[in-house]
Amino acid sequence: MTTVQLTSKDFKSNLKPIWCPGCGDFGVVQGIYRALASIGRPPHEIAFVSGIGCSSRIPGYTTAYGFNTVHGRALPIAQGIKLANPELLVLVAGGDGDGFSIGGGHVPHAIRRNPDLTYLVMDNQIYGLTKGQLSPTSACGLKTVTSPHGAIEHPVNPLLYVLSYGAGFVAQATPADMAGMTAIIEEAIRYPGFSFVNVQSPCVTYGEDHQQVKAHRTAMKTLASMGHDPSDRMRAFELASHYGEQLYTGVFYRNPNPPPTYGALVKERQAALAGGLPRERILESFIQR
Amino acid sequence: MTTQTESMHPPATDLVIGMAGSGGDGIVSAGESLIAAAAAEGYHAMMTKSFGSQIRGGESSCRVRIGTSALHNPGGILDVAVALNWEDFLRFGAELPVSSQTVVIYEKATNVAPDQLPLGGVHPTDVFAVPIEEIARKAAGTDLAKNTVVLGLLAGWFDLAPDAILRGIRKRFAKKSAELVQNNEKAFQSGIDYAKANPLRQARPLARVSRSTAGLMLLDGNDMCAAASLFAGCEFFGGYPITPSTEIMQYLSREIWRYGGAVLQAEDEIAGIGAAVGASFAGKKSMTATSGPGMSLKTEMLGLASIAELPLVVVNVMRGGPSTGLPTKPEQSDLFQAAFSGHGDVLRPILAPTSVADTFRVTVEAFNLAEHYQTPVMILSDQEIAQRKETVDAIDTSRFEVLHRRVPTGAELESYERFRATESGISPISHPGMQGGNYLAAGIEHNDKGDPTVSGKIHARMNEKRFRKLDPLRHRQDLFAIEGDADAPLALIAWGSVAGVCRESLARVRASGLRAKLLVPTLLWPIAEGVYQDFLASVQAGLVVELSHQGQLYRMLRMQVDVPRGLKSLTRSGANPFLPSEIAQRLEQLAIDLQSRVSDQKGEG
Amino acid sequence: MTTKVSGLDFSKLTLLDALDLAVLIEEEAMDRYRELAEQLEVHNTHAAAKFFRFMERNEAKHREALLTQRTARFADAPRHVRREMIFDIEAPEYDEARTFMSLRAALEVSMRSETKAREFFESALAQISDSEVRTLFAELRDEEIEHQGLVQKELDKVGSGAPGDPEDYADEPVSH
Ligand SMILES: Cc1ncc(C[n+]2csc(CCOP(=O)(O)OP(=O)(O)O)c2C)c(N)n1
Ligand code: SF4
Repeated sequence: MTTVQLTSKDFKSNLKPIWCPGCGDFGVVQGIYRALASIGRPPHEIAFVSGIGCSSRIPGYTTAYGFNTVHGRALPIAQGIKLANPELLVLVAGGDGDGFSIGGGHVPHAIRRNPDLTYLVMDNQIYGLTKGQLSPTSACGLKTVTSPHGAIEHPVNPLLYVLSYGAGFVAQATPADMAGMTAIIEEAIRYPGFSFVNVQSPCVTYGEDHQQVKAHRTAMKTLASMGHDPSDRMRAFELASHYGEQLYTGVFYRNPNPPPTYGALVKERQAALAGGLPRERILESFIQR
Repeated sequence: MTTQTESMHPPATDLVIGMAGSGGDGIVSAGESLIAAAAAEGYHAMMTKSFGSQIRGGESSCRVRIGTSALHNPGGILDVAVALNWEDFLRFGAELPVSSQTVVIYEKATNVAPDQLPLGGVHPTDVFAVPIEEIARKAAGTDLAKNTVVLGLLAGWFDLAPDAILRGIRKRFAKKSAELVQNNEKAFQSGIDYAKANPLRQARPLARVSRSTAGLMLLDGNDMCAAASLFAGCEFFGGYPITPSTEIMQYLSREIWRYGGAVLQAEDEIAGIGAAVGASFAGKKSMTATSGPGMSLKTEMLGLASIAELPLVVVNVMRGGPSTGLPTKPEQSDLFQAAFSGHGDVLRPILAPTSVADTFRVTVEAFNLAEHYQTPVMILSDQEIAQRKETVDAIDTSRFEVLHRRVPTGAELESYERFRATESGISPISHPGMQGGNYLAAGIEHNDKGDPTVSGKIHARMNEKRFRKLDPLRHRQDLFAIEGDADAPLALIAWGSVAGVCRESLARVRASGLRAKLLVPTLLWPIAEGVYQDFLASVQAGLVVELSHQGQLYRMLRMQVDVPRGLKSLTRSGANPFLPSEIAQRLEQLAIDLQSRVSDQKGEG
Repeated sequence: MTTKVSGLDFSKLTLLDALDLAVLIEEEAMDRYRELAEQLEVHNTHAAAKFFRFMERNEAKHREALLTQRTARFADAPRHVRREMIFDIEAPEYDEARTFMSLRAALEVSMRSETKAREFFESALAQISDSEVRTLFAELRDEEIEHQGLVQKELDKVGSGAPGDPEDYADEPVSH
């Protein structure tokens, strides 16, 4: 593991983003550059994994090893990477559809394994890449091309979702507060275990007016300003339950005593069991005696 | 047994025993004891099991074949049938076929008269209604010891490794109590005594073998696949339990840690292959294994591994399909899926093992191909091979080469392009942690650097590259076995577990004077046109034998090879195994048809 | 202001640090104009993109001038202020660009940025005691005021007679 003095520029790739001008994801990627610079791991020691969606294009805009996989499956792939090489810093990102609709079934399992990786969901409450359909975090009643008469289902609450499955680090951020968002992303990466940041990253093309960056600037309220103690899990549940009504930013919950990570337990097991038959003699255990 | 009968009849060199009962009868554990004893004596042996759908207590059967020379399949018509009750026995239908030559041993308490056996008109000459339960109760104090009595009967009648069986019984029950050992010894001896008191009409002792048992193994195809993966350097397995592939994951869950690897039991098959794709991206040899329904779920990830050019071994232990189908029976109906599933132009190599022993070679080859060509490689095993136990002669692992993916050199990393155009189509592959090798792997089309593109021109070029790199495969003669008479007009083509049946059929027809040959492809896809063309040049009539309804290899050959008109498809849905004798008869018929065609033509001329 | 700069105490700001900060503020603005111009170029929004390119060059010139001043005075003395300490001081916000935005809208973006920068320097001045630093920041503030004037002139040239919402004429977005 190497740490060196790095700047944001070291993480910016030559690929030009093709997001719509004004898309919240531009801010998110800048925040990630900064957070990574401050962490100081060189890009080649970072694996940045995503699913499919506008937001999932993000790894390509960094100089890290990127893997833009298939819709909804970033978390399983990222866990494979982390298990294969626990020394890597593994970042996972994607949209709300990617993470809580098609990929929703993978989230609890990533949490219960507690791999040391950071999952950033760029939650815009809409499907961007496919042109504005209803998303699992869309508000009830929202009219979209697939809910032209208004959605009759209720949104998933991403914060409660991950909190209730036992994630050790749960936060929310918005690119309307770049400094705050960057600090939260950095803290999430530093947390030893599964960390989750719901970034309210507006879609300028299909999002609602009250979900845009400018609206966030007035609507947001930092948890710190409310005196929230992030080790108070019950209070975190209470605050998180206001998702969709209140834009709270900051850390809802940080486990004050992080349990051992998946990677640490795997290493322990490998060490405990090391020294089997050499690979070329593997068949000897089947010899009849 | 008596030397008297031996002098009168040549001893048998091959014995096929089928036994059925309900789970509580322990008929499968009797089979396990039998095959272990046979292996210990140096016999070649093979055992398949078959079950009803209950978790416990359903009908269960096993088929044990013991021979003095190499065995290629679990055998055809039973030489010996053991029925602890007839309902259960009959549920296995064609899996336990009997003829008038079969020695039938059954539980007397079933109250079926020896001349009234429910065998559909077959009247075996040697039939024994044995009071198995009663003997067990008398000898061991419990009718639970039925299976031990059965072992005694078999040892007594067929001189089947009695000492080794006894050693096995002692070992098995020694863990429990001395009393149990004694009781079972008595039950075993009572079985032998009963057999001696009621001799067969014609004694059929199994000939003794005299060969060294050093290095002789006894295992099933799933364990072999898993062990071979470790030999090949596998360091990661991601999967989700599904019959009949789960034992691969179970073995690796026990062992892989010792080699610094890891197993992830995923939340579903998609996550299982996903984690394996991730581990491969991270530079590790990785594998996933599944069956039918699980394979259907993995499709999208296969495409991802293909376009991102990531090495990956995917094992599909085929069972009857579609959907849940026949989860515990073999079938060869997933070849189309293996070759064609998923969207887009894609070519992924498919390999099939023909036996437990062969599973070693095929698994190592699969890893080598995956790593060398940076592609997912499918292994199509099937329920029979995966779960059949067989004796395997010592494998000299030093004969096997283990290949690794070509990583970029220091100089290449100076100006690295992940998908750089090369003559072979194979581009050096970096992985996270490698300074200078940073790139974006993606499901979207990419240029040489790995950057996403929507350019049709680049897409066409990359497709060409991904296909071109696999071209050399089609010339790998060593991935095909050809047996028999090189210029024969009669031919068989078979893959997977059916190949072993055809080997025996071929030997039979050649022994009776026919000129015939057999082609067994290890490489099923891409089709090696040249190999088939050469093989088929002399062929006027033949059969592609497959355990499926459609005959999928036959259809794929018709797509790509000029097959002679006389080459036909012989197919059957799973769970009804082909018998060596029936395929031999088919070949003989083809020979007769050919003859008459030739004489007709002469007549016309 | 406190959220815009982290790790600097303005009341103790030295001239060296102040100059370095000023260079970085211009650099950040320069980078941001380039990024916004790139976004618009990728989306064929040319008039606005061209203006942002113009602004990028402007900011580059200011940066150059400040850098010269810094080198003349302090040569290559080590820098204490890092880019990671500032956020969006003169740079327009990340979300300011829009597909098909008009030249007028682009000018308005820049007007908001100059205003923002002016406000920053004003509030900073209130905390600074060092006279040389005060002079520098006052100059910088005055420059922003001057720029505001220039942008206003451009805005006047373009006129307010907007040609309608470009979105009304554009194709539907493309789905992937
Ligand atoms: C299996 C599969 N189904 C559907 C799609 C089409 N698809 C691509 S992205 C997407 C949803 C995008 O929404 P979200 O994940 O919230 O990301 P955003 O674009 O808003 O960032 C869908 C439905 C796909 N690529 N793969
Ligand atoms: S459609 Fe929405 S989410 Fe996608 S790039 Fe455009 S603004 Fe961003």
